[in-house]
Amino acid sequence: MKQPVESRQLILDRIHAATPAAAGDASQLADAYAALPRTYIRRSSLSTSARIKLMIHRLREYDAEVVESTPADLPAAITAQLAASGRHLFVAPPGTPNKWMVTSARKITGLKWTIDHGLPIGEIEKAEGVVTAATCGIADSGTIVLHHSATEGRRVLTLLPDYYLCILRASQIVETLPEYFSRCQQPPALATYISGPSATADIEMTRIKGVHGPRILVVIVVRDDK
Amino acid sequence: MSHATPGRVSLDPRFAPPFPEAALIMLRNPQLRKNVGHAIDVIQAKRGKLVVEKTDWQELRSAASAIRFHVLDNLGAYLEQFEARCTAAGGHVHWAADAAQARQIILDLLRQENATEVIKIKTMTSAEIQLNPFLQASGVNVYETDLAEIILQLGDEDPSHIVVPALHINRSQVREIFARTMGLNNLSDDPKELTNAARTYLRQKFLTVPTAISGANFLVAETGTVAVVESEGNGRMCLTLPQTMISLVGIEKVLPRFQDLEVMLQLLARSATGERMNPYTSLWTGVTPGDGPQKFHVVLLDNGRSSILAKEKERQTLKCIRCAACMNACPVYRQTGGHAYGSVYPGPIGAILTPQLMQMKYAQTLPFASSLCGACYEVCPVKINIPEVLLELRSQVVNQERKQAGRVFDLMYLGLRIANLIFATAWGFHAAQRMGRIGLRFFTRKDGWIHSLPSLGAKWTQTRDLRGLPQQTFHQWWATRAKEGK
Amino acid sequence: MRASLFITCYNDTLFPETGRAVVRLLERLGVDLDFHPKQTCCGQMHANTGFRGEAFSQAKRFVRLYQDAETVVIPSSSCVAMIRDQYPGLFAELGNEILRKDFEALLPRVYELSEFLIDKLGVEDVGATFTHRVVYHASCHGVRALHLGERPYKLMAKVRGLDLATLTNVDRCCGFGGTFSVKNAEVSSAMLTVKLQDVLATKAEYCTALDNSCLMHLGGAMHREYAGMKTIHLAQILASTETEATL
Repeated sequence: MKQPVESRQLILDRIHAATPAAAGDASQLADAYAALPRTYIRRSSLSTSARIKLMIHRLREYDAEVVESTPADLPAAITAQLAASGRHLFVAPPGTPNKWMVTSARKITGLKWTIDHGLPIGEIEKAEGVVTAATCGIADSGTIVLHHSATEGRRVLTLLPDYYLCILRASQIVETLPEYFSRCQQPPALATYISGPSATADIEMTRIKGVHGPRILVVIVVRDDK
Repeated sequence: MSHATPGRVSLDPRFAPPFPEAALIMLRNPQLRKNVGHAIDVIQAKRGKLVVEKTDWQELRSAASAIRFHVLDNLGAYLEQFEARCTAAGGHVHWAADAAQARQIILDLLRQENATEVIKIKTMTSAEIQLNPFLQASGVNVYETDLAEIILQLGDEDPSHIVVPALHINRSQVREIFARTMGLNNLSDDPKELTNAARTYLRQKFLTVPTAISGANFLVAETGTVAVVESEGNGRMCLTLPQTMISLVGIEKVLPRFQDLEVMLQLLARSATGERMNPYTSLWTGVTPGDGPQKFHVVLLDNGRSSILAKEKERQTLKCIRCAACMNACPVYRQTGGHAYGSVYPGPIGAILTPQLMQMKYAQTLPFASSLCGACYEVCPVKINIPEVLLELRSQVVNQERKQAGRVFDLMYLGLRIANLIFATAWGFHAAQRMGRIGLRFFTRKDGWIHSLPSLGAKWTQTRDLRGLPQQTFHQWWATRAKEGK
Repeated sequence: MRASLFITCYNDTLFPETGRAVVRLLERLGVDLDFHPKQTCCGQMHANTGFRGEAFSQAKRFVRLYQDAETVVIPSSSCVAMIRDQYPGLFAELGNEILRKDFEALLPRVYELSEFLIDKLGVEDVGATFTHRVVYHASCHGVRALHLGERPYKLMAKVRGLDLATLTNVDRCCGFGGTFSVKNAEVSSAMLTVKLQDVLATKAEYCTALDNSCLMHLGGAMHREYAGMKTIHLAQILASTETEATL
């Protein structure tokens, strides 16, 4: 068996032999890339309110629960949702604003917030729900984008608990996927795109929701556009 | 033991029977036909609606095709860029020239971690290199975590589709498999209950097994990022909970830049499952401290892809993003299901990819497993002209046959060679028409139809009649008319 | 308007009545039609079965026969698709520059029948009468290779008395596929059975198409199974008038 190093060169040699039209250098490559045709839709044609409406519609199509809130009412809105959930043990990312947690902790008996400062997996597994912010919402597909910053939490946080409350600001909502990509100043090292609760259609194409990952998704759309 | 597929066909192209033979086995299975047809109809209906809704669908296809061709033209540069970025981010990149090497690299990595168990996200590439049996034989227990793959693994079944691999198995067959292997005697065949059984079965595995294997849908050269597209969440589990992750990826899966995902992701879910976006897409770059596996390896797999790259007409095969839209649209696949193709890559893409990965030494009947209807090309999100490649491969297979002594016994070969002589001149053509008319008279019944023919003709008449040759050909009629002065 | 008729090898041998109908139809529309007596085959069967060298010699013959024709009309969409889609590659790979140039000059002058009627003659109403319920099978080459689109439907809409049935899964392949019907006879038959279910469900008297290849396949099963439906090339419907039925 060849050692890995040898195969690298072997494969690259095969590829180079097979691609005589390859760009000669990085700048030629960049030029060739820039010349690729892109006539697909790259901009939104919707007004802000139509865009937000579409996002909410798509989320509901995926059976996510969606409510709107003003920025001022957000802590109360969070409290209302958590109370309605009937759950008490919540985890939150390390950058979660205190305001989000203080009101609910006060108003809901038995509610316990655990902040993820490197929690062992077993602790996250015990949580009944998680609350995070988001990076972007893509209305066309009802997609929530997480870049796993301090307010969004590491990936496992929004994966293990069965209930996920996502706080999405209206100003974060775009219509099309290309708009999200053009908003990214830099590509994220980590990202998760969520377009509804997990599902499988592997058995007779019957769509069953909630295989792995939160079975309940609630989104609060914060109208910071008004 | 296996109810879903009585009459088993090997999915190893080296041992699989010729397509017509394998197809016949599958055609004798009405349950299979029903299951496959149902699954296809569901996906096609959903896809159809979304394609109409996506008003820039054709523009997206054009962009995707251009991006993929550009990558193939510059594959070396983009792979090296991916390797550099991934390595800078803490990942390790390995290069496997063939299946055996890929298997060994993966086993060596597992041994480094003293791994006796591994959890897997569904990846057809691992089926291509026959990874699971190799690992099992080497003392590593492999646990598939994708629901379809679990059904196949526990039921000792083979995949028949690249996106919905268990589409040939219905709910009562799943119930039977789970009841038997999970010891759940009171399990109903309700898909919800069956899925719950799988969820419970897997939870412990996710939380305890420290090593995982995945494939990838895309690699991003610009950033060294890997993208995995899924629906169930088992991918996210495997990508975030273990300590070590090994991703096996074909060399053709690289994209130039992060931004190119804006094209691919719009096409993939709509084509594969008829959704605007699949539930979960995960992107990660090398290793991120405090989040997910701290040891990450990518195994880049050639296994015949670079030889396809060298061929001008055939290289478009490598544009494939494994969406399975082609097999969902294929009227042949609808009748036979995937196993008839004797490969883990079935359907139209399988008919061109499989023989090429085998360097045209095996699976030579696959390029002929098509009526050339073109439905696949119509739906392919990256515009692979599959019929064009099928024709090219057919020509290569025939050219192989031309060199074989045994060709003189192949009636189809002889027939076509003779036909070419016949078509070379008008007198030869007309003479053959006369001879044919006289010869077929023997088989023509009183009603003017032929009900039964010998030899190759029997292939037609086994299910169809053939109207007897008319007394006068068109050209004879024209000549007579001309003589009579119109 | 002058046109040269390329009848196709299988129409010449098996379906001369389609050729006669094309002649009647086009002459009725004032076309001065001629027929090259030396024509044989376009090479499709060989090209599609992997015998490219053989196909090339037939393609070359076709170009040489018709290089001076004003227009070539062909009542078979698969043969036109062969000429349009595969001849360029054949000549680029196996031919010479002169041959390739002659072909390029000829190509725009080659028409499938419905293309000739709609695009070249500019007619939709060909003066036809066909008082029957008819189901139209959209052959794959016509739909996907030639993009015939609405042409056959426009022509049928103007046929007096024609009751056009709606066919579900209208663009699903009938399973003929040339030599596929023999090399993969069982799969071909399974596809045929499925297609036949949709076709027979329309309860039409006739099944029509622009390709006798598909009709031979469909009609062969209809006859075997005493299905009570007949096949007929669209040319024969279009040639049919009140006084003269062409069946």
